[in-house]
Amino acid sequence: MHRNSIKDILGLNRRNQEYIRPYNSLSAKMIADNKILTKRILRKEEVNTSDVYKLIRNKKQLEYLDWDSLPKSFVIKPNKGTGGNGIIVFYGKKKGQNAWIRPNGKTMTQRDIILHIENILEGRFSMGSKKDIAIIEERVKIAPPLKQYSYKGVPDIRIICFNGVPIMAMTRLPTKRSNGTGNLHAGAICTGIDISTGITTFSMHMKTKGLMSDTYEMIDKTIDLKENKVLSGIQIPNWDNLLTIALKCQRATKLGYIGVDITIDQDKGPIVFEVNARPGLGIQVANQAGLRWRLEKVKGLEVKSIKHGIRIGKNLFGGEIEESIESISGRKVINIVEKVYVYHKPKISNRKKKTKIKIDKESTKAFIDTGVLTTRISTRLSNRIGHTDTNKYFKQLEIPQHFQTFKDAQEYIDIHGQKIVTSLDIIRLAKIVEDGQIVIRPVINIEIKISEDKKELEAVITDDIPYPLIIGRAELTGYLIDTSATFK
Amino acid sequence: MQYSSFTTWILSNGISNQTLELLIAIPVLVTLVSIGRYILGSKTYGIYAPIILSIAYSYTGLRYGLVITTVVIITSLLSHRVLRKIRMHYITRVAINYCILTISLIIFLILINRYGLTLENMTNIPSLAIISIAALGDFFTKQYIRKSLKTSLLTLFSTLVISILGWYVITRDLLSTYLINNLWIIPILILINLFIGQFKGLRIKDILRFKSILKEKENA
Repeated sequence: MHRNSIKDILGLNRRNQEYIRPYNSLSAKMIADNKILTKRILRKEEVNTSDVYKLIRNKKQLEYLDWDSLPKSFVIKPNKGTGGNGIIVFYGKKKGQNAWIRPNGKTMTQRDIILHIENILEGRFSMGSKKDIAIIEERVKIAPPLKQYSYKGVPDIRIICFNGVPIMAMTRLPTKRSNGTGNLHAGAICTGIDISTGITTFSMHMKTKGLMSDTYEMIDKTIDLKENKVLSGIQIPNWDNLLTIALKCQRATKLGYIGVDITIDQDKGPIVFEVNARPGLGIQVANQAGLRWRLEKVKGLEVKSIKHGIRIGKNLFGGEIEESIESISGRKVINIVEKVYVYHKPKISNRKKKTKIKIDKESTKAFIDTGVLTTRISTRLSNRIGHTDTNKYFKQLEIPQHFQTFKDAQEYIDIHGQKIVTSLDIIRLAKIVEDGQIVIRPVINIEIKISEDKKELEAVITDDIPYPLIIGRAELTGYLIDTSATFK
Repeated sequence: MQYSSFTTWILSNGISNQTLELLIAIPVLVTLVSIGRYILGSKTYGIYAPIILSIAYSYTGLRYGLVITTVVIITSLLSHRVLRKIRMHYITRVAINYCILTISLIIFLILINRYGLTLENMTNIPSLAIISIAALGDFFTKQYIRKSLKTSLLTLFSTLVISILGWYVITRDLLSTYLINNLWIIPILILINLFIGQFKGLRIKDILRFKSILKEKENA
């Protein structure tokens, strides 16, 4: 795991000076701060945003608003609002009355709503109190699995991207205290997401108390649901798709440093709520990781495409899940098909009277198989790493092609084994099943590097394997095998 | 009093002693504001409010100044609480707030005159200073509406801390005489601000916010 030091953390000063100012131009920020403009620009990239029913630009339009044309449920938003202020959700119309029901059960009459819209128009919720436009748009129908983790309101997923690479992500889950909004400062729960898998990691919310600073509290479960649920290990559906959408938003808005807020609608799938030119820093706490070193790693990289960007992000910043399991259980997680390095037999060269020992290594795919005890290596790979002579020697031995029973094979090994083993790297003979028949194969010592550990192990040379290397359970103590991920 | 030749020259050009003292207090104050914002991470109500407040305090005296501030804040808070229940436009709400503030300040001054409350002589305070303090109510309610009572109180607190420091700088004769005699401090303050302007490190507040991430390191 990347060790967090104080230098890895991004503070407000550096965020503003090194990332927002140089990478987010004024015009790009104007797009992000304007929801209507954002929607229009994202449409070009075929990114879904919530449908707008009505735009109200002035009091006259408000006066002539056809209330009957509005659907049962809708949301009112200020176009240039900040921090979720001024957003009101309506679930449905109260029967026989000119009033609408809010998620918290309270109702607002048409007069109340008109007043709220007037406040929006006057700029009460907009940056710098400038005149604003009120947006009436569709209400998102939240899709599982996040629905069950949030108290009313709309949970969303924030992905921070920089230079075409997804850097860090989190979900924001509304709580009772946050009054159904995803605003961290209001008390919403924040859960970090592992970039490579889309699985949630650590969770936190802001403490109610605390004077000098905004202090966070790490939590394991939701806090005010009827039945509180464990927050880590939730798989966000369609993760790669969400990363793609976030990077498309970055491409469309030309914000070099961007926070994209996405929610998942039951019918329409991912919907971009908002793009943020000044994404907050609390995400670092939810991920228990600093943004600064991640941003610095990506700075100046040439990212060729969205797919390339996702690959970079996953390779560089993924793996918190595995690491967190490792830190809990003291075990390492390896994939069912894991990339390993195999060391070649040392080559000794005698050039210019100097003896040099050279050890090469090569990377290969290894299949992790708890069904076999001893590791197996293909003849081809064993030849490559310097055991050609061993294989030649073993081939010319007159060992029966196959045996009827393991007992026969063992007897053969007991009688002839000693003689064979004395030569050419063969440390013992093994009886294995190949093509449904019992055969005897040579065992050699090889050295590999798996998940940063260098190991010396015994391997049976055989050709009846689908991968160049199969690692048996003799070597697997201390590892957890992840069957979901495959070799990348 | 003995002034340096440069200061004497300035004073001989028709600038009064008091004006110069106030003018030089401003760069010191704004530097304090920028240190507070970018090194400590505590926000004030802009840069204007602390300046006005410390100048106002220097006229009213700290004790009276703080009392008036308290009256202003409590009145704004209460009137906002009451007015919140009535639906109305934003500016009208602020306007009513000011009206109520005026009433309560008048009542307060009458009470002081009648009963003393150990705050005698308060009626002699220049009215402009009181009005300057009253403007604080608007800053306060605005943030209260937009963010929360807690953040607004926090901002109020750091604004007051800076203003009190400013009041100290202005009212201590020794300090202001020193400042008047050492006007080279102004370019130094510009340099300090230039430095803070380039500062990219973590603010004290950031460190407190993110200390849980650092703790994780020790566990790992």
